[in-house]
Order: sequence, then C-alpha cells, then structure tokens
Amino acid sequence: MPRLTYNIAMVSDFFFPQPGGVESHIYQLATKLVDRGHKVVVITHAYADRKGIRYLTNGIKVYHVPFAIIYRSATFPTVFSFFPVFRNIMIREQIDIVHGHASLSSLCHEALLHGRTMGLRTVFTDHSLFGFADAASILTNKLLKFILSDVDHVICVSHTSKENTVLRAALDPVMVSVIPNAVVSENFRPRKYPPEPPAPNNGFGNATPAVHHLGPNDPVVIVNLGESPQYSIHHCWVRSKSIDLEQMIEQNVLQDKVEMLGSVRHEQVRDVMIRGHIYLHPSLTEAFGTVLVEAASCGLYVVCTAVGGIPEVLPGHMTVFAKPEEDDLVVATGKAISSLRANKVRTEKFHDQVKAMYSWDNIAKRTERVYKGIMGDIPEADFYGYEVGNTAAWNGESHSGVRSFALIDRLKRYYGCGVWAGKLFCLCAVIDYLLFMFCEWVFPRDSIDIAADWPRKTYHSDDDD
Amino acid sequence: MASGTTGTGIRHQLATGPYSALAPAAVLDTLTTSPRSSRSHLAPEDAFNAASPPRRLGGFDQHQHHSNNMSLLRDTVAAAGADVRSSRRRGESKFGSRSRSRRRKRNWKKILWVKQSYPDNYTDQNTFLDSMQRNPRLQPYEFWPLVADTTVIVQQVCSVTIFVVCFVGIFTERVSPVAVVGWGSFATFVGWAVWDWWVGQEGEDEVLQRQNSHRSRGAWQPRQDGGSANSTTAPTTPSATSSVTNLGSTERTTSQGNLLAMRSQHGGSVTSLHSNVSHNSRLLDPQDGLRHRPSSPLRRGRATLRLSTIKSASLIYFTILGLSPILKSLTRSTSPDSIWAMSFLLLAINIFFFDYSGGVGVKFPASLSTNAALMASTVLASRLPSTGQVFSLTLFSIEVFGLFPVFRRYARHRSWRYHVALTVLLTVGAGGGMGLILGEGRDGVWPWKSGLLGVLVGAFIVIVAMGASSWWLIGLQKYKNAMNGPWDQARPIIISRRQWEYD
Repeated sequence: MPRLTYNIAMVSDFFFPQPGGVESHIYQLATKLVDRGHKVVVITHAYADRKGIRYLTNGIKVYHVPFAIIYRSATFPTVFSFFPVFRNIMIREQIDIVHGHASLSSLCHEALLHGRTMGLRTVFTDHSLFGFADAASILTNKLLKFILSDVDHVICVSHTSKENTVLRAALDPVMVSVIPNAVVSENFRPRKYPPEPPAPNNGFGNATPAVHHLGPNDPVVIVNLGESPQYSIHHCWVRSKSIDLEQMIEQNVLQDKVEMLGSVRHEQVRDVMIRGHIYLHPSLTEAFGTVLVEAASCGLYVVCTAVGGIPEVLPGHMTVFAKPEEDDLVVATGKAISSLRANKVRTEKFHDQVKAMYSWDNIAKRTERVYKGIMGDIPEADFYGYEVGNTAAWNGESHSGVRSFALIDRLKRYYGCGVWAGKLFCLCAVIDYLLFMFCEWVFPRDSIDIAADWPRKTYHSDDDD
Repeated sequence: MASGTTGTGIRHQLATGPYSALAPAAVLDTLTTSPRSSRSHLAPEDAFNAASPPRRLGGFDQHQHHSNNMSLLRDTVAAAGADVRSSRRRGESKFGSRSRSRRRKRNWKKILWVKQSYPDNYTDQNTFLDSMQRNPRLQPYEFWPLVADTTVIVQQVCSVTIFVVCFVGIFTERVSPVAVVGWGSFATFVGWAVWDWWVGQEGEDEVLQRQNSHRSRGAWQPRQDGGSANSTTAPTTPSATSSVTNLGSTERTTSQGNLLAMRSQHGGSVTSLHSNVSHNSRLLDPQDGLRHRPSSPLRRGRATLRLSTIKSASLIYFTILGLSPILKSLTRSTSPDSIWAMSFLLLAINIFFFDYSGGVGVKFPASLSTNAALMASTVLASRLPSTGQVFSLTLFSIEVFGLFPVFRRYARHRSWRYHVALTVLLTVGAGGGMGLILGEGRDGVWPWKSGLLGVLVGAFIVIVAMGASSWWLIGLQKYKNAMNGPWDQARPIIISRRQWEYD
C-alpha cells in the first residue's frame, strides 16, 4: 500500500532570493518533504527580479505573488486581497495543508486565515521570540492570537520558543510541537574532514541562501588561537561592521589582530569558520541559533550567551555559556581558550556528533508526523497524547485537537480573542467567508486548471534515524 | 525486558496497519544504536512511522507489557503497583497510559540535541513555563508617596489654569492687562533672583567637588549636546547651546546657561512663528564670547551671565512688543470656536507631555509641551482686541510656561517645604481665579465671596483628585501582569569604556 502523501503549500514572505534563516529553513524542509514523496509548493511575494512561477531543485514550485512590500520584505497587511490568488493556487495545486512560516509575515497570516476558510488544514511555524512589553510586540501578539486561534498545529524551533508562542497566542501546549532547525552538515565540515562524494544534482542548480542570516547588528567573533601557546588571541574575525567595534579596534591598536569581515555569503561561512578555533556568539536573543550548530559542525568550540533557546541547542561539552555581561563573556572566553589549550575539548569529534543531532531528514520526518496528525492519519489520542495532560480536560468538548471547519465554530474561537478584538476578528472571518463564496461564484472551481505534478519520489524506509 | 521488547516490536509490526513495513527497521535501529531500546517508550520513531505507538497494541501485547511492568514495579513501589492493578481493572487505555508514564526511565529534558522518547508536542508539566517570571520587578506603590508625587502635576495644571484665568480676565476686560503682566514680571523677577541666589549657593558648595564633576561630565556631555540639538526649534540655537555646554566649567554655570538657552528657545519659538529668527544669534552672542575664555573667574562669569540674561530678557520683551500688532490680527479670519478648541487641545498637550520627572539639570525638558503652550497662548492672544493686551498675554505666557517650570523644579530640588508651599499657593490662586471669573462680575465690588468659594472648591477638588488618582493607581496594580522569561531580549551589562579612559 502506498504511503500517504500530501500536497503542501509553504507560505511566507521570506523566501529566496532573499537571504536568511527562515528562507533556508523553508527550502531545506521543502526539499526533504519532496524526498519523502510529498508535493511542496512555496508561495511568497514577488521580488524585483523574481516574478511568476519558478522551480527550484527537487521540483519545488515557487509562486511569487505580486504584493507591495513595506518593510524588510514583509508585505503590506491587506487582510483579504491575497484571497483570490491564493484560492486559485490552492485549487490548481490541490493543496491539502497550508504551512505558514514566520510571525512577522503578513502573507503567511493571510494564507492561514484563507486556508481555514477554504477548509484546508493549517500549520504555522514560529521562528522568533517576542517579548510582551513594547507596543510592536503587543500588536504582533494580538495578530498572532487572531491567526493562531484557528490554526491546526503550531511548530516552534525550540522549547523556549514554544513557551513564548503558547503565552503569546494563548494556545493549548499540546498543539504546539517543538521541531528544531537543522544544518546541512556536509556544508559545514571541519578543516581536515574528508569531503563527501557530491550528491547527484537534478540539473536545477543548487539554490543555497546567498548571505548568512544574522542581522547586521549581531557582532560575531571567531577567535583563532596562535599555533604556539605563548601567543594570546591571534585573530578575531568580526562578522559585522559597527562604529563601536571599529573605535574599539583603533583605540586598542588591534588592526593587525582583528579583521572585519562584514556579512558573509552563506557558502563562504564554512571557509570563514574553519579559520578559527572558538566561535563567540554574544547574541541578546535567539530562538534557536542555527549558526551555533553550524559553528560546532565546523569543529569550533562555541562560547555563547545563555539567552533565548540557545541553552537547548548544543550539549555542554561543545559550549561555554556566559551571562550577557561583558565581564562574564571575557571570563567564558578565557575559560574556553584555556580548555582548548589544555586539549580538554575534542573539537574534532564535533562534526560527527552534530551530524547525528541535527539533520533535515529528521526534521522533515517529524514535520510529517505533524501533517499526519492534523490530517487525521494518526489517531487523535496518539497525536495529542492524552496521557500527558489532565485526562478529564480532554473529555470536554473544547479540546484542542479537532478544529472544526464550520464557520460558527471558527467564529466562536475568534470571539474569545478579546473584548473588541474578538468582534473585529469575527467580522474579518465573516467577510473572508463571504469573499470565498463570491470567488466560488465568480471563478468556479471547474474553470480552474489543475497543475500537472512532478513525478513523486518514492520513499522507501525511515531507517536513517 | 529486551526479548520482550523485540517480540513486542515484531508483533506490533504484524498487528498494525499499512505502514508496518517500516517498523522492523526502526525497531532494530533503536535496539542496536540507542541505549533506550525499550519498545515501551513512545519514541520519535513511533511518531514518524505513523504506526500506532505501543499504547495501541493488541490485547496480548498489552498484557505482556503489564506483567513486565508489574514485576518491575512490584519490588520497588508496592503501593504504586497496587494502583496500577486497580487502574487496570478500570480501563485498558487509561491503564496503558498510566503504566507507560511510570515506565519512562528518562525524564524529559528541555534540550534539542537529543532525540527524546517523547513526541514533539509533549509538554512537560513540571518544567513548562518554569522560567517565566510574572511581575519580577514590581514595586508596589504606597499611598502617601504617590500623593506627594502628584503635586508636580497639580502645579502644572494650576499654572495652566491661572494662565487661562488671566486670559479670560483680560478678554472680558475685568482685569487690566498691565496689572497681569506687571505682577507676573515682578514675580518672575523675584523668582529669578531667588533662583540665582540658590544657584550661587549651590555653586559654592560644588566648588570643592568640581574636579570630580569635571571628570564625570566628559561622559554626559555628548549626550546633552545631542539632546539640545534635537529639542531646539530655531535653527541657530543648537550651536549656541552646545557652546553653553562647552563653557560649563561648573554645574552652576551650566544650569544658568540652561535658563538662557530656555529663554532663547522661547524667543525662538515665538519669533519663528513670524520667521524672524535672526534675533537668536544676536541673543546668544555673549555666550559665544564667553566660550573663548572658559577660565574666567566664577564671580565674573556669573555677573556676565546675569548681564546677558537681562539683555536677552529685554530683547524678548521688545521683540514681543514689536510683534504684538501682527499677532493681534493673526487669526482674525478664523472663527472663535476653532480657536477655543485649538487652544484647549494645545493646553491639554502641554499638560500631558510636560516633563514631570525632570530634575534641575535637564536641558529643554519637554519641548513639545512648552511649544504647544506657547502656540496656545499665541492663538489666544490673537483673539484680543488691543496691542497692549496681546503683548501682555504673550509675555505672561512665556513667564508661566517657559520660566516658571524651571523655578518650580529648582524649588522642589531645594526643599520639599518650598515645593509644598508653592503647590498650595498655586492651588489657591487657580481656585480663587476660577471662582472669580465664574462668579458674576459686578463692577466695583470685589467679589471675595465667589473667590473664597473658588478657593475652597479648588482645594477640595485638588485634594480629592490627588487622593483618588493615587488610590486608583494602586488599585490598578493588580492588573499588572508583566511576563518575563528567557524569550526576552537580554539586557547586556557593558562596562563603560569612557569611565576607564578618564582614570
């Protein structure tokens, strides 16, 4: 009997050619899901030189929908205007599951709303952490609550992110899965690691992200210890240019010891990283910290601040944690240097260990379980794990598992979002439904062509765990 | 246990549905590679295979599981075993879940690098939201300190009220504009004299500590410059004010320069309405001259500053005098209603955006607030019929909104008693004034009754408002729900390099 496969639409404002972590996450996940026999379509907005439909490696189809961009490639939030195009794509591609990414992408939110209106199952992946204090966060959190109050399942990249999302959107924790990011460990080999035979290419070229996904404000330092032990810190490669750093360098006359690199293209990250021994990552907030995993995969000892989801990412023998304080970072780096000097850290083993920890195959497998759960292909009791929670709570009507598509049930869920917001959200949902009806009448389903699929890959076994 | 597990796995594979072909590999994998090979765990593989996890096993399997489990448990936890047995009678599924949760050897950990034997959406009851803090830095308010803090607001509101009262008095021609501006200017002069005396006293106190303050000033000076540059309205002022800051050899001179800069700002905002900015540069010429000799003795510097203050005051005086005829006809074509609404709005902006927390050293506190008030006064003054009235009101508004806050701040800084006295005085003045203008004005008779009534009502309203607002704010504290956790952006602690450099 053939495996059950799904037609999945990944929707996000953030996709190639724009560089970034969300972008590569979507791409890698989509690739692996295609490998597992699913059909994946990516929907994003049009970029200056990318319009219309494009194909990526593995037959991933990318729809670049024309939309006005307001800020850092996030589209203008026009609650309904995406619907006709979205509906057309959904019908053309016979989509079963809408999978939105990134909570700052209005395209994703719109797609989730319309997807539910069209009776599709929806998944949302949250890639970032938000506080609760400032005005922007409050607004985003309210919007997130609106969208997530009717989503089928949520994926977070770390446990901290899960706690954050559960609080922000007032979700039931069992409908939030934690599925981390991963790295393509072949791309992050340490210096003396034998290269692996190149994977057969499908002839589409390899679309890897252009620039690494750290923001320009995150200075990152790669410390290289001198060959002879009497030298102190030899070279720091600083990954971003900022006036403060340059001032510091000039004041302390470190020009010959510090090299400012600016932003590094993703394919060059490995080449930069293997020049060092220690990866110092003084980030202030981080949902997952993929770059830490990449650094460890390159065989670097990681010194990082224990903020956000970072403590969950790497085991203690690969990292030295510091408080986000200047003194403590210096102490931690000193500790790392001395333990490297004393040969206490087996950095040469890091690559294989990281390879065993994080792989996109595994991520895709776990994401597939989420898809199966929401499509009802795993029994509900198994998927939502009744044994972990209070059993009595699940027997009530309001358990989170089944999200009915009936408009009245959706309205009930939206209504609970807030005194004023609840009514507003209900209004939005009703208008969306009317719009859907209108679209069904003006552009009937029969008149929309069904897109031809790529031949599906057959996936044989799950033994690569 | 191991053999039982293998059997389970195979039987599991036979028993379950369409994906069972995937199962043996996974089972073998778990058996060979990982130490936690017990098939009774809910492993991620179960999830991925989409085959039913162990709890969905057939009756026999479950039986075997139970017996295994029981034998393990019996030795260790007898009571628990009894519990299991009893629950077994109750229902299979429930029992399964219980025994399974008990059989878990490894606790769930909040880590991502290990594939744990829990599903991805497992929520650990013990650790979930463990690190969340609610209201971590909450300081509960106390009643009397809050009431004391409201006095600054009362002062500002009363100042605005007094200004409005004066306007109404002038507008209805009950009060002579000359009297208003005369008394106002007299009070301002007295206030300035007192302030100058205070400042002089403090300057002498600080002479000893000057060396230290000199060092620390290096740290805050750039910030001040930036602030002044942002908050000034006239284009020539930033350079001039920064020169004031550069000149500051002591705290005293800086704050005196503050007043000057303040004046120049107000002059600027008044004159800029009529695009007559050139005065400013002349206004601050003495300052520029001073900058070139920062080593001038204290006393001489103060005398010069006083002289320049008087100079700039007279300059503002004559500027307003000259501009009054233009101001008078400024809004002739606008209907009175819009003027009332607009001035109300602007005065409300003044009250809401006023810098209540500012200390004495703050330069240009709340420029939005001050500018709004001056615009309100300009707009109101343009309603007045004669040039003298316009002049009086404009000058009075500069005194009330521009200079008086500086004095109030200093009074509060000097002594709490002065502050309270000033508050009482302002409350009485505002209440009495309101009473006077609201009471029916019979000419020739001093309406002391309505004035007294106004004072009483005003005082009553102020006391009730102070108490009620404080009490309300305390009551609102229970709704405060700040959630902090590891997701918040960390506040880095960075040692200031500047401090090090000066050592």
